[in-house]
Amino acid sequence: MVSPVLSERAQLLVAIADDELILGWRDSEWTGIAPFLEEDVAFSSIAQNEVGHARALYELAARDLDTTADALAFDRKPEEYRCAQLVELRLPEWERTIARHYLYEQADAERLERLKTSDDEEVAGLAAKIDREEAYHRLHAEMWFERLKDEPRFTAALEELRPLAAAVNDPSLRNGHTPELAEIWEQMTEVRRSVPGATW
Amino acid sequence: MADSEQEFLEYVQSGGQVETDDWMPDEYRARLRKFIEMHGNSELMGVLPEREWILRAPTLQRKLALTAKVQDEVGHAQLIYRVVEDLGKPREQCLDDLISGKSKFHNVFHYPTKTWGDVGVIAWLVDAAAIISQKALLKCSYAPYARIMKKICWEESFHILHGRDVILTLMLGTEEQRELVQEALNRWWGPLMQFHGNPIPPDEDPMYQWRIKSQGNDEARQQFLDGYVPQIWELGLTVPDPELRKDEETGRWHYTEPDWDELMSVVTGHGPKTEDRLDLRRKARESSAWIRSVVLAEAA
Repeated sequence: MVSPVLSERAQLLVAIADDELILGWRDSEWTGIAPFLEEDVAFSSIAQNEVGHARALYELAARDLDTTADALAFDRKPEEYRCAQLVELRLPEWERTIARHYLYEQADAERLERLKTSDDEEVAGLAAKIDREEAYHRLHAEMWFERLKDEPRFTAALEELRPLAAAVNDPSLRNGHTPELAEIWEQMTEVRRSVPGATW
Repeated sequence: MADSEQEFLEYVQSGGQVETDDWMPDEYRARLRKFIEMHGNSELMGVLPEREWILRAPTLQRKLALTAKVQDEVGHAQLIYRVVEDLGKPREQCLDDLISGKSKFHNVFHYPTKTWGDVGVIAWLVDAAAIISQKALLKCSYAPYARIMKKICWEESFHILHGRDVILTLMLGTEEQRELVQEALNRWWGPLMQFHGNPIPPDEDPMYQWRIKSQGNDEARQQFLDGYVPQIWELGLTVPDPELRKDEETGRWHYTEPDWDELMSVVTGHGPKTEDRLDLRRKARESSAWIRSVVLAEAA
């Protein structure tokens, strides 16, 4: 179990990891049902990258906290997660998913730029590594932005979600969670909780 | 049979392969296209039983492996539909015929996945059964199909390893976890035994005659039993068939006759999950139709 008192570095890492984990989980909801087979494959890749980033960030935090990446990802209560509300939302409409994708990638790019110049070499190194993959996500998001930018459904989704994007770079705006976090948590921990303490 | 058709038959039966632009008899083209389309449909429908468990995967590693596996299946569908397209049927039409129930997909993808045990059984045994059929397609008389099968078989072999690892971990776990596997195996055994189809002799099977397939149905099933029953036993699992045994003299497995009526009913669209899964795909396709028209208009 994770101590509620996290070091400053662990707090930072866990917050970013939670964003990437929950977003990756949400992105994988498109597996099998995306509008094109090509997008199905693309979103699965993006989901894998995000979950992979979450794992690397949790691993670093887990060392400080004497726990494991899996324990950090799965064995906390929903209220202990530090993710931004933007990533929690269940967005079954493609235009809203793309709007979040675009807003998140922009905010995440800003965050990674800052982390890459961190004095903490481990954090800066990991941020640089993550950024190399995120560059492709940004290209993908920009391609879709270009395709949909004149569609009223898409511009409405951007306006709806834009206010939530600010919390990605401002921890003081991360207060509270949407009910959708508890829902996704129920689902993602369902098997794991079914036999507590087991190896999977 | 026309001379040219007889010549074609002799050509493929002696190991010859044809390319997209070569002449081929109408019957061959029709059977080939239908068969490959069903394969594409199966890769795509095969995503749905597992997708529910991507969201429930119990560790980060399992989440990554399962997402990658399912992504491979979609990639296979993409490749296979391209081959169908070259034979004259556009992908969009394949997808429309799939959701309208006009075309078919493999029996195993019509069943529910009830527990994490199913995830292991599907990735290990369903994929093992599939790879036996797919390896036999490496020698398909239609060369473009045989070529993509190399990539597909290579990727499927990783799925089997992932599946075996999921099963092994559960079998080394708690009593409850072992029960998940046994219970899933009990449910999947019937569909697995039906998977390779009725035991029609190869000489009477037009798919074999045209060398679209390079082995008979029962031969594929025997290969599956030979490769996997010993492993299943070794893990301490019980195969739910009291008749199952290997005749050491003939080297052949005896088993209870699979339920061919069930197979027929399932593949003609009456499986326990057929409607739900087609409905999910139908809804996804309807709600994203506007995006396809935006993108396609832009491309035009």
